[in-house]
Amino acid sequence: MSESKSVLIIDDDSDFVRAVQALLESSGYRVRSALNGREGLQLAKTTQPDLILLDVMMSERTEGFFLLQEMRRVPVLSNTPVIVVSSIYSDEPVFRVDPETGWLPANLFLAKPVEPAKLLSEVKRLTSETSEKSTAATGRRQL
Amino acid sequence: MPSSEREKTVFVIDDDEIIRLSCEQILHKSGYRVETFGNGYEGIERLKAVKPPLLVVDIKMPELDGFEVIKIVRKIDPELVIVVITGYATIETAVDAMKMGAYDFLPKPFTPSELRLIIDRGFERWRLANETRLLRKQKEEVERKFVTLVSHQLKAPLGAVKQYLDVLLYTCRDQFSSEAIEWISRSQSRISEMISMIQDWLMLAKLDRGVLCESASLCDLGKIIEETLQEYQQIPSANEITLTGEIAPDLVPVRGDKAGLGLLVDNLVSNAVKYNRPGGKVTVRAGREGRSIVLEVSDTGLGIPQDFRPHLFEEFYRVKTPETQKIPGTGLGLVICKRIVDELGGSIEVDSKEGEYSVFTVKLPAAESEEEVDKN
Ligand SMILES: Nc1ncnc2c1ncn2[C@@H]1O[C@H](COP(=O)(O)OP(=O)(O)O)[C@@H](O)[C@H]1O
Ligand SMILES: [Mg+2]
Repeated sequence: MSESKSVLIIDDDSDFVRAVQALLESSGYRVRSALNGREGLQLAKTTQPDLILLDVMMSERTEGFFLLQEMRRVPVLSNTPVIVVSSIYSDEPVFRVDPETGWLPANLFLAKPVEPAKLLSEVKRLTSETSEKSTAATGRRQL
Repeated sequence: MPSSEREKTVFVIDDDEIIRLSCEQILHKSGYRVETFGNGYEGIERLKAVKPPLLVVDIKMPELDGFEVIKIVRKIDPELVIVVITGYATIETAVDAMKMGAYDFLPKPFTPSELRLIIDRGFERWRLANETRLLRKQKEEVERKFVTLVSHQLKAPLGAVKQYLDVLLYTCRDQFSSEAIEWISRSQSRISEMISMIQDWLMLAKLDRGVLCESASLCDLGKIIEETLQEYQQIPSANEITLTGEIAPDLVPVRGDKAGLGLLVDNLVSNAVKYNRPGGKVTVRAGREGRSIVLEVSDTGLGIPQDFRPHLFEEFYRVKTPETQKIPGTGLGLVICKRIVDELGGSIEVDSKEGEYSVFTVKLPAAESEEEVDKN
């Protein structure tokens, strides 16, 4: 990989973080991680990663959701692609994302555990879109 | 009023003062707390505040009669135990009162011991019902907590283990012997099995709590089928199965939960694909038949031997033949289907010929109104 992109993983499951970090690093990404939302937001602001991988259900049931909305209000992060990973069902009412309103402004939803090949190809796609400074993330549901 | 007082309170509503006084005396001696009322209105007003376990009410009264009192107090407190006093000891009046929810009746004239016997029984009955209610509530609470526990404490660690194995095999494949790779793959599929088991089980728990009924709307079954088929067409299957949908143009909406209907179609199609053979076909039909919507999922697969068919809708039941042995599954898919269909007031049936085909037929009541179909 010629230029190395950076990814921030925000998840309270340290094993998930280690496994996915190893996967992304093996493909040449620079990876940082945070085990809670507050720390995650701080790191996101200071390091401005090319992509954020976010778990919706951290110790607080809705921590990830709020974090994501807060992130979108920070100018330097408003366009950063976000992949939401979750082990909850897509039919869980809290997870019913309305593509029209895009209230949950994530670019992609992936079920946990994530399939390595799928994750890598999506990360690659989304990070190359940013370098072209493409349109803002409008919360298209692509699951 | 402290609940210990409330729990031994009897209300007596009777226009006859003699009856009121004698009831009060007799029951007071047996340790009950008695309040008496000369007419229905007073009694009902006070009943709202006190909520006594038991009410004795005369049937024949001026103004509000006993039947009307029963009708009103039943609504205020469904748990209230009611005993009626019937003046002219006709069985019919007593039966009518019981039909309306009275627990027992006392024909006039009655002796003190007859009164005591009936009131004691009534209280016993109230106590038992009360205990059952409490137990049921506790049980529901435990179940709800257990579901949360399972979903978070079991699924999360399994997911983490699976994630490690997935990444390990993906990133270090060339460092392992073929036997090591085989073992890791086996571990992955065993864990996946367990994760699906937990997911299906959670889904059942959710169905039990009626979660899938809360958001009933008019659904376009045809669209749900098309979306499901598309998903399956996107997954490259080793078996080269051809999936087709045949949706009747006159199909009307079904009232139900969209997620629930999706789950139903998905489970049936997943089985039709799984228990098929190379080059097999899966056909999903939807159409009208009188006042019903018929959904039919058929395949040209392994079929289901006759002996196994009656058990298909039982929890964890899976057909055990050499052909099906290697196919992963939980034995909960059809249970989930059955629950969803029951909830929608429909039926599900299976027809099959071993080694040739299986057809699952679901009948659902068609939605009748002209409401707008939920487009989401
Ligand atoms: N279309 C089908 N063809 C053949 N057998 C089927 C079909 N659908 C279901 N079965 C049998 O019924 C069993 C129960 O199905 P299901 O409840 O969906 O559980 P699972 O698919 O997880 O085993 C299956 O294990 C299979 O043996
Ligand atoms: Mg199944």
